[in-house]
Amino acid sequence: MTSATAANFGKLAGVAWDAIIVGAGHNGLVAAAYLARAGKRVLVLERQPQAGGAAITEELFPGFRFSSVAEGTGRLFAHVAADLQLHRHGLKLLPIDPLLTAALPNGGCLSFWSDTARTAAEIARHSKADAARWPDFCAAMQRLAAVVARLMMLIPPALPAPSGRDLMELLKLVAPARRLNRKQLADLVRTLPMPVADMLDEWFECDALKAALAVDGVHGVSLGPRQAGTAFVWLLALAAGQVPALAAASQLQGGVGALTQALAKAATSLGAQLRLNTSVQQVVVKDGRAAGVVLASGEEISARVVISNADPRTTFQRLIDPLEVDPVFLRSTDTIKYRGCTARMHLALSGVPRFAFDAAARIRIAPGINYIEQASDAAKYGSWSRQPWLDVTLPTLADTTLAPPGQHVLSIHAQYAPYHLRSQDWDTQRATLGSAILSTLAQFAPDVPQLVLHSQVLTPLDLERNYGLPEGSSTHGEMTLDQALHMRPVPDCAQYRTPIQQLYLCGAGTHPGGGCTGLNGHNAARQVLRDWG
Amino acid sequence: MAEIYDAIIIGGGHNGLTCAAYLARAGRKVLVLERRHILGGAAVSEQIYPGFTYTVCSYVVSLLRPEIIRDLELPRHGLQILPLVSSFVPMENGDHLALWSDPATTRAELQRHSKRDADAYPEFSQMMYKMGFAVKPILGMVPPNPLSPGVDDLRRLLELGRHAKGLDARTFQQLTKLMTMSATDFLDEWFESDVLKALTAINGIIGTMLGPRSPGTAYVMLHHFMGELDGAFTVWGFQKGGTGAVSNAIAGAARQHGAVLRCNAPVAQVIVRNGQAVGVALENGEEIRARTVVSGLDPRQTFLKLVDSRQLPAEFATAIGNFKYRGSSGKVNLALDGLPTFTSMPDRALLQGMIEICPSIDFVERAYDDAKYGEFSRRPFLDVLIPSTIDPTLAPPGKHVMSIFVQYAPYKLNGGWNAQQRAAFGDAVVNTLEEFAPGIKNLILHRQVLSPWDLEQDFGLAEGNIFHGELTLDQIFFLRPTAGWAKFRTPIRNYYQCGSGTHPGGGITGGPGRLAAMEILRSSK
Repeated sequence: MTSATAANFGKLAGVAWDAIIVGAGHNGLVAAAYLARAGKRVLVLERQPQAGGAAITEELFPGFRFSSVAEGTGRLFAHVAADLQLHRHGLKLLPIDPLLTAALPNGGCLSFWSDTARTAAEIARHSKADAARWPDFCAAMQRLAAVVARLMMLIPPALPAPSGRDLMELLKLVAPARRLNRKQLADLVRTLPMPVADMLDEWFECDALKAALAVDGVHGVSLGPRQAGTAFVWLLALAAGQVPALAAASQLQGGVGALTQALAKAATSLGAQLRLNTSVQQVVVKDGRAAGVVLASGEEISARVVISNADPRTTFQRLIDPLEVDPVFLRSTDTIKYRGCTARMHLALSGVPRFAFDAAARIRIAPGINYIEQASDAAKYGSWSRQPWLDVTLPTLADTTLAPPGQHVLSIHAQYAPYHLRSQDWDTQRATLGSAILSTLAQFAPDVPQLVLHSQVLTPLDLERNYGLPEGSSTHGEMTLDQALHMRPVPDCAQYRTPIQQLYLCGAGTHPGGGCTGLNGHNAARQVLRDWG
Repeated sequence: MAEIYDAIIIGGGHNGLTCAAYLARAGRKVLVLERRHILGGAAVSEQIYPGFTYTVCSYVVSLLRPEIIRDLELPRHGLQILPLVSSFVPMENGDHLALWSDPATTRAELQRHSKRDADAYPEFSQMMYKMGFAVKPILGMVPPNPLSPGVDDLRRLLELGRHAKGLDARTFQQLTKLMTMSATDFLDEWFESDVLKALTAINGIIGTMLGPRSPGTAYVMLHHFMGELDGAFTVWGFQKGGTGAVSNAIAGAARQHGAVLRCNAPVAQVIVRNGQAVGVALENGEEIRARTVVSGLDPRQTFLKLVDSRQLPAEFATAIGNFKYRGSSGKVNLALDGLPTFTSMPDRALLQGMIEICPSIDFVERAYDDAKYGEFSRRPFLDVLIPSTIDPTLAPPGKHVMSIFVQYAPYKLNGGWNAQQRAAFGDAVVNTLEEFAPGIKNLILHRQVLSPWDLEQDFGLAEGNIFHGELTLDQIFFLRPTAGWAKFRTPIRNYYQCGSGTHPGGGITGGPGRLAAMEILRSSK
């Protein structure tokens, strides 16, 4: 702790803070911004030297900057971005087209373009029937996603006995749902618990097309596309604009860190205070109420409410004195399934890799539903996929600020790499995993190994150690049906409140889950303000 | 042609018979038409091999709705359930797990595997009982349509809402978990012993093309626990004479109330005039008139075979086309020269209970993996019963019949099912059994192997699915078989459905047959 930051504590302790937010991840910053906008005195405390949590851009090798954890596709929910006027705080979007290119085993590819007709023409090379259905599919899914988007903005009701306010909240779903006819409404209800593969089977026959789409239903979950509930994950992603094949695509200049930098600026310009390099040791609880925090330095700062951007298990098992929490509740936080199952790999390249097709900003290697399903089988038995599916981003095609001239950065999201290995440990498996990822990529771009200047592999264990993601889960708990809505993260704190009064949650462990939506922070701030009346 | 029936029921399966019995009991003139020479559908007992009675398809009873047993006075017609008091799992390490209906014995056995699990088991059983109780009103209810509710629907929805509100928060949360989780994940929250989890989880995969680690299987597990209600049966039981005797009991009740039951009467088509069902045409050309026609067959046959699909709204036909069957199981019935010897079986009395070849979660999960990619399991999960040990009338003295329910056997086998594949599948079953009961091969006098394809051909089960369609969240309650048509009606006036493809789904429950009859009676008052 430097003396300069220590000097700040005196000042911080003297202020009558309305809210202290523990952690400056993107949701913490969004919550801060909304509370500050409502005229509240807000203090955000961040352990790391930079704000952003898992949504950061880091210079991993000299001159090469990477979106190290969260994808470069991260974008806030449009509504939140508009509220916080992020474009005024330096956020710059670079358009990309094609939106996504799926690599096929025969050397071909299937590209998705912002122009629906162009995508349909591309699909027609594989299946005329699928091409004909594509525009209808996009329209039908966007209609369902509109309802899901509204659902994501709700504070989930307390079930089985919702309050009057909960019911009022649910009424907000009526308007978007009324835009659906009876059949579409039935489709929505039926689709949510389905496997994403089944959902796509009802539309398409081309396996490559289905696989390219299905990946977004298994992103970050340890399930394969034939498992129930993956359609739910897919629709949430679509609603958040994070199904690249159907999204109005753009990438953030400067990587995903630019998003959180803009958010930090938005929050501070609205009056919130942000302190970096400041580790919170404990949340102070007095008579069952959160009263402030104690810093690692021993300094105590009080506030009307404390909002934790940390994941639920960390919040209740590390930030709170266990004696303050009901043991039955504490046990329920033990059963939250985190199950990180993804690995990241970052490459600094001396040139653009040569694929059998034009290199694109986003390339997906998942050539078949069975391919993805087989990759997922490994996770069931506690080992990692020898042939993982890969989401590859090449941001430097559009953004020259991330690498030295002529050179490139390439980031890979690889699945499945489960945090819990049965008979090995990640420290000995890291290198082999890296080779497996690289050789999978090299099947489609054989010159990649020769272009690599530097590389880094992040196993789920590394994501936990280096970025504080429990079990390597970037969503602070798996996005499965049993951990959604009124069950997220656990039933007793599904409304951003916790069993400890004045302590709130705002991280990805809450509804509506992970992804750079900002909605968790938005909804949590709304709940805090609502409770203040 | 002279006679006009009030109702013709297509298919003499247990639901068709139940529907017939209820309608006849209400004074309706009812005719049941069965394609085969024997009533019962998939609940039949047959002597395929002289002297040995196989309980050919379904083999145990527990889910039969108690109100049906009472209303139809089934014990008077021969219903006699012999309780199955034990479950035995031989393990790969030579150990075993044996659970008895006696709690103290079970506790001692569980303690051998895990003290923690022995403590948790009674609480788990109680919780599952509570869950069964929580869903009980839903099982006995005609599903309301929440998507375009009428007055009745609103009333039922309110009823449901009140019921849900009456549940304590913990029950409601556990119920949510059961509806959405995998059986393994759900059991992980309770137990640590893998073999106990495997034994419990198999309730979640039976009849389903899902593995114990697939979300949705906790619900199927609950479905199989619902039988333990009302004190009617506390454990699964075996019907004396085989499940065919259950069908015969219901048939007896139907006959007593005046229903006419005809075998060897395959229906070719439902006759529809002006959008209204008016009777049926048999395959031999005979036409029979009726005011109401009810199909006990699965949705695929009910809507895509028995009627001209052009009579149906296109959207409806598409939805029925999308209904998932995905048969995942086969059946092997053996005539044995004597009783087998299982390695590690501590007490021969366990031969009278269920014998489960599911030594670990991974064993079952790997069996599923094979099927996921279009192969039958090389080492399948086996649900084994030797009914002749509790009902000696099924086999000659000293000899036995063994019923083996097998998973997984995908309907869509790579290369398709044929005689050779069927035999290979039978071999995989016997070889797996031989691992745990060495020498059983030498006891086999006769072997009947039914692949999902055979189940479709011989018993009319679409894709060999024993539930007339998968019991997944997107295919239950008001979505079974499809949204807007879960109330036993169809888009064709006076044409009804009463098979397991309707609410509350598969198993020998009688639920669909009874609810359909009530709906028919209500609309024709």
